[in-house]
Amino acid sequence: MLSIYLNSTYYVCWRELKRFFRQKTRIIMALFQPLLWLVLMGNMMAGLTDNPYAARLLGVDNYLLFMTPGVMVMSALFGGVFNGVSLIWDRRLGFLQKMLTSPLPRFSIPLGKLAAIVLQITLQMIIILLVARFLGVHMATGLPGALVMLVFCALFATVMGGISLALATAIKTPETLFTVVNFLTMPLIFSSNAIFPREAMPSWLQIVADYNPVSYTVLPMRSLATSGWIWPDLLLGLGVLLLANAAVFLLLFNRFEKTQLI
Amino acid sequence: MGNNPEINKKIQVEVENLSKTFPGGIRAVDEVSFRVYEGEIFGFLGPNGAGKSTIMMILTTLLKPSSGKAFINGINVSANPQQVRMNIGYVSQELSVDDMLTGRENLWLQGGFYGIPAEERKARIAEVLHLVGLEERKNSKVETYSGGMKKRLDIAAGLLHRPRILFLDEPTLGLDIQTRSEIWRYISGLRQKEGMTIFLTTHYMEEADRICDRIGIIDHGRLLTVESPSNLKKEMGGDLIRFTLNSEMGDAQTERALERLRSIPAIRKIVEVDGGKGEYSALTASGEETLPLFFAALQETGSSVGRVTLKTPSLDDVFLSYTGRDLREEKVHKDQGLQERFTRRRLQS
Ligand SMILES: Nc1ncnc2c1ncn2[C@@H]1O[C@H](COP(=O)(O)OP(=O)(O)O)[C@@H](O)[C@H]1O
Ligand SMILES: [Mg+2]
Repeated sequence: MLSIYLNSTYYVCWRELKRFFRQKTRIIMALFQPLLWLVLMGNMMAGLTDNPYAARLLGVDNYLLFMTPGVMVMSALFGGVFNGVSLIWDRRLGFLQKMLTSPLPRFSIPLGKLAAIVLQITLQMIIILLVARFLGVHMATGLPGALVMLVFCALFATVMGGISLALATAIKTPETLFTVVNFLTMPLIFSSNAIFPREAMPSWLQIVADYNPVSYTVLPMRSLATSGWIWPDLLLGLGVLLLANAAVFLLLFNRFEKTQLI
Repeated sequence: MGNNPEINKKIQVEVENLSKTFPGGIRAVDEVSFRVYEGEIFGFLGPNGAGKSTIMMILTTLLKPSSGKAFINGINVSANPQQVRMNIGYVSQELSVDDMLTGRENLWLQGGFYGIPAEERKARIAEVLHLVGLEERKNSKVETYSGGMKKRLDIAAGLLHRPRILFLDEPTLGLDIQTRSEIWRYISGLRQKEGMTIFLTTHYMEEADRICDRIGIIDHGRLLTVESPSNLKKEMGGDLIRFTLNSEMGDAQTERALERLRSIPAIRKIVEVDGGKGEYSALTASGEETLPLFFAALQETGSSVGRVTLKTPSLDDVFLSYTGRDLREEKVHKDQGLQERFTRRRLQS
């Protein structure tokens, strides 16, 4: 049973990766977008840390160091949240029907797609980290901290990608999914601590940020970047992400095994 | 086929009172029952929207029926879908190959889905590529293939795991005449070489006539008859009188005239040709002998004809006599027209 799942997941993932690496524009965009964020935001906000008050809010005197975990989480979010579109296209182009009439366990479809997303995002994150390093960002926890950051990003991407795939089991057009996803992601980013520190927010937004899952991913990553191994932050982030993953995978299992997908 | 299949053939597909109502109330399949026997090419013939694809999707475990039962190889489709999937190959109406992969990669993936071991998979891929004549292009991306090649690759993918029964939903939809006959050759060859049971749907009369052993005529979700093409034509017997009545006649008089015509014993059946603006088709054993009676009857009711032609029935007329519709004149439903164009565009791109 397990070997069937592994085998099926492998082939679904294999296809996604082949497709990804054959779309030059997709690769370029996936790499270029976070770099743009990093360089633009870094430059734009660099003046901010000259202001001692702002520097105190950020907790660092290098805005890029503050920003790198934020950019990573946003890239993971954008990388994951459009995952459902691939399911909609598979349905439109008949490939989903092909998978569904084969003995492939249905749950392996989201598993394979998420595995592919995790690999793509990890690659993206490694490049972001290298560029950040090149721009003079030094993580407080060094290389081990950077590796743990990759794990947080992966866990976050499977939550976002999983939600997107679950939505795509019910939504039949890419346009509708785009609309729903945009409606969800924009507030998710701007009400989190990804771009601005919590302390700089009005109090009502602080409350929103406190319940925003994005914040729980940014929090431990930012600790790793700016402060060191702050275990309460790390465990809190890990706990929230694991719970969210459990909920998302349960939802996915239900959607893929129990509902009609076409 | 000639010999009666019911006596010496194993049943491959058995369908009993199958119905499907879509949310919104469209009854796409209405109490359909039939059997498909081992080794035959069985075809569903019907216009767009008749319910052909819906039945096929129920049989291939993609849709659940609203009521009724379906068995593949004796396995209940709704109760044991996973077991059914091992036994069937399905080539959907739309192309389902992945354009961004090469032909070989598509087949490799398909083999992976069915858990065929790598060595064996390589051998089988070579075999099906040979069968559909795509060896030379196996390493090119599918987006560079012609429509016919894509369809052949799709069929090859459906064959890779050696299913006992292959479902082909409108295998030649949107293809040009030449490619169409090429696909027919492959399909017939498959049955000959592999002894595979093939279940296809089509709305091309010629396709049903040329390659099917038996045809089920389907319209508005109902299966109207199942017969061999030659029997269907034989059953029609005699001749067809196609006629229009004088357009100045009112409804009441038209009704009276038709009533009178139907009472002529030599006329077996009169159907109105759909959308033919008052055109009718009367089936009779012998046209020459019936025509005088026909005119006499009309005179008696004080009616007159507009136009009369006499012809021997083709499969088109068989279809017309069952459905009251001419398949060739079938006006394509808007959505389905779009769907077809979409498929065609994919085929051509
Ligand atoms: N998913 C669906 N939801 C609602 N109606 C559908 C759906 N699929 C097909 N139908 C309707 O069911 C009928 C039969 O369709 P289909 O089986 O595709 O016909 P065919 O394959 O013979 O052209 C049509 O009226 C079609 O509009
Ligand atoms: Mg159809």
